[in-house]
Amino acid sequence: MTKINVNGRDIEVDPKQPLIRACHDHGVDVPMYCYHPGLTPVGSCRICQVEVAAAPGQPARVVAACRTPVSEGMVVSTDTPKAHETRRECLEFLLKNHPLDCPICDKAGECDLQDYTFNEGQARGRSSEARRKLQKRKSLGDVIVLDEERCILCSRCVRFYADVVKKPQLTVEGLGSRSVINTFMDKPLTGNYQGNLADICPVGALTSKKFRFQARVWNLSKSLSTCAECSRGCSITVEALRGKEVKRFRPRANEAINKWWMCDVGRHALAPVSLPLAPEGSALGGRLRAACIRGYNGLEPAELHEALAVAADLVAAHPRPLLVLSPFATQEEAGAALELARALGSRVCFVAPEPNGMKDELLHTGDPCPNRRGLSQLGCEALSPSAVIEALKGARSALLVGERVLETVGCDALGALPSALRLVVFDVVARDLAALDACIAVPTHVEKQGHWINVDGHKGVLNVAVSAPQGVRMLDASLHALLQMVRATPAKA
Amino acid sequence: MKDFPKYLLTRIGAADSHTLRVYRSQGGYETLEQVLKKPWTPEQVIGVMKDSGLRGRGGAGFPTGMKWSFMPDITKDPRPRYLAVNADESEPGTCKDRVLMERDPHGLVEGCLIACYAMRAKAAYIYVRGEYRLSYNRLQAAIDEARAAGLVGKNILGSDFSCDIWMHKGAGAYICGEETGLMESLEGKRGHPRPKPPFPAGSGLWKSPTTVNNVETIFNAPFIVKNGAEWFKGLGVPKSTGNFLCGISGHVNRPGVYELPFGVTAREIIEDCAGGVWKGRKLKAFFPGGSSTGLLPASAVDVVMDHDSVKAAGSMFGTAAMIVLDETASIPQIMDVTLRFYDHESCGQCSQCREGTQWLHQIFHRIAVGRGQREDLDLLVSLSNGMAPAKTICALADAAAIPTLAAIKHFRADFEECVKLGRDPNAPSHQSAPELHEAHA
Repeated sequence: MTKINVNGRDIEVDPKQPLIRACHDHGVDVPMYCYHPGLTPVGSCRICQVEVAAAPGQPARVVAACRTPVSEGMVVSTDTPKAHETRRECLEFLLKNHPLDCPICDKAGECDLQDYTFNEGQARGRSSEARRKLQKRKSLGDVIVLDEERCILCSRCVRFYADVVKKPQLTVEGLGSRSVINTFMDKPLTGNYQGNLADICPVGALTSKKFRFQARVWNLSKSLSTCAECSRGCSITVEALRGKEVKRFRPRANEAINKWWMCDVGRHALAPVSLPLAPEGSALGGRLRAACIRGYNGLEPAELHEALAVAADLVAAHPRPLLVLSPFATQEEAGAALELARALGSRVCFVAPEPNGMKDELLHTGDPCPNRRGLSQLGCEALSPSAVIEALKGARSALLVGERVLETVGCDALGALPSALRLVVFDVVARDLAALDACIAVPTHVEKQGHWINVDGHKGVLNVAVSAPQGVRMLDASLHALLQMVRATPAKA
Repeated sequence: MKDFPKYLLTRIGAADSHTLRVYRSQGGYETLEQVLKKPWTPEQVIGVMKDSGLRGRGGAGFPTGMKWSFMPDITKDPRPRYLAVNADESEPGTCKDRVLMERDPHGLVEGCLIACYAMRAKAAYIYVRGEYRLSYNRLQAAIDEARAAGLVGKNILGSDFSCDIWMHKGAGAYICGEETGLMESLEGKRGHPRPKPPFPAGSGLWKSPTTVNNVETIFNAPFIVKNGAEWFKGLGVPKSTGNFLCGISGHVNRPGVYELPFGVTAREIIEDCAGGVWKGRKLKAFFPGGSSTGLLPASAVDVVMDHDSVKAAGSMFGTAAMIVLDETASIPQIMDVTLRFYDHESCGQCSQCREGTQWLHQIFHRIAVGRGQREDLDLLVSLSNGMAPAKTICALADAAAIPTLAAIKHFRADFEECVKLGRDPNAPSHQSAPELHEAHA
């Protein structure tokens, strides 16, 4: 470790990291546009300039903190009038051609340029020249749209493809003040990591087509969570508009798992957490409210306790039901399910689909089970959907438990099962399967607390980003309630 | 002007001076032979270069021997090392290297070999400005001839010294004349200058130790090795030794490239070499060393031409490309064209340079066409101070800011008059000011 002094405070820092990282790690604010901790520093925006002296009493120089290595005894001041003045000058140049269209810019509210301009900038510009007129909405593929006028040419996007994806697709085209960002040969961007460009763009130049004009970012409430789309379990934030509607998944820096990135599959997997509710008085055609049971007219909405009673009756009539967990079940839910299984004397497995061919070198594992490792650690047996169907054929009763369990096993295959089998399902959506006696609604992964274990054994937390619809009870609570009922009515063995 | 010994341009008068035959007949490659056969150690060569006090001729005037000695110790650092010769010569006004490359290419080849020997470099890359077709062809022919004669390649002149020389053509970007931009370009990338540190001697071409020298600097090396450091120090002045090539252009009677010792005055160059200001007019101003060096007024014409004296006069020696302006010249127009150049040539990495060069150009253009405002002059000064000194990766921002500050300092009255009249009183009557092109090619 190297000892340096920043703004009068002695700190110990990693000698391999540039000065700006040392400052950030110790809570010293240094603005940055071109610098990103996950990319090679180029030192081109010059906004991170600070005053540095080699040792106390030595003459101080203004340097770009992102390109300055730390050295023992270095004295750094980020707050001197000179440092502020240098950064202010730099900011003025950056704003010279910037359109200042914050009121209609999607980035407003989380824009580094806007924030720093509010902190440091002058209220009036000194330029009377015409601003650069460039393309305002240039499509760079299916995911990203580029506003060339807002771009400050920090080249983070170019370096993202060169350094992280390692397949360069973007470049700075033109020279000097005529530079613009473009793809090679005007080809659209490809690959599974395009969405990250909107995150790393420090201004509103690269925005997400899907998120554009969906929400003002200051109306988004953010919760720490974990991506559900593969066993990597990228750390994410779930951003919900006024705490109700999930609008965006964004990666959250986690050096152990996903660094600063996430894939587009995970980023755009909003559909499973945005299902509309089933119509009032119906169990089908949307998210299940509370529960449903099979009545004279097929599946009918029911109270939770009614559905649980059906489940208790089923396991009493046909003991030792097969317990099939969803790969999305959290450790806590799996714990509750295992406790129930012990009480019932059941075999427990979880449905683990085959790799889906999405695997790549960066993040995606191709394994669609976010908690495969965690469930295996708990002693659950991984069965492929076809193996689950085979096991069900030999059973007389079964409990299918957890978010998306029906679609993971396969509704068609479940529908074709012999009618001797009776099912009780805990899932987000009910399906009208002949074998289904009752279905109990469960929350989606953005509506509950818990954790998954990712492919490398790292813990991924889930938090309540939006509240579950009224009547939907947490899965572990439902399982506990069922356990109580089972204990109250012993099986007729 | 008093008489002085010449050496740089003595060979170019001969017919076919660019061929190996003529070069050899004038004592060519004898110095290389001396170095290899005697043999000199590389350290001895660097020692002589250091003692000679030779300063780089590419503009910055950094001591060459010192630069060579920055190359890491070969016993501790086994990476291959390279010499890159900067023949991009893109500074407006500069045309001195071209004479050497076209008329005396073997002199440069010999210089490269001696420099590579001194720095234990395995190859030299000569980065030639793309427009210099004759220079390129003659240098390439010279390298081929030398290679055929066993002077370039493996085991040169039967010694165990092997060295190759390769040529690379630039594509016309000014920024590729900046040493790190040049290296990027040589590697096949965009000519975006690299932040320093790391310096080229530590991590240059392909992350290996590299020294980048100007053509004229390398060209000096054989003379210094042959005649010794004392001889070289006898030329010029104590802190700027040797002779230099001065390319004088603009409003003079005899523009051209002249060999001069450091220590002559600008007046001697303009009057004795270039035959004075043309058409019997008076001198108004001059750039002492290319358009990036601050404009000096006529009153500074007695400045002594060496690195330190020109600096003391508020400008820079640069590449000694003197641009002379007569009394009819319009300074606002001169600055408009000058800044148009920097706006066009900024690589676009650093914010201050990308936006600043454009901004300065826009303001100068407005003033030149009579749309200037009173506060523009202070704005120009303030913006230039925001761009320089040393606030960006390379010195291009400085190269735009320095002449701006100098022009305002010495010719504020000219600008103020333009602003007040709403037109440029010195603009040639037949020529209407060109309209500003938003996106020039």
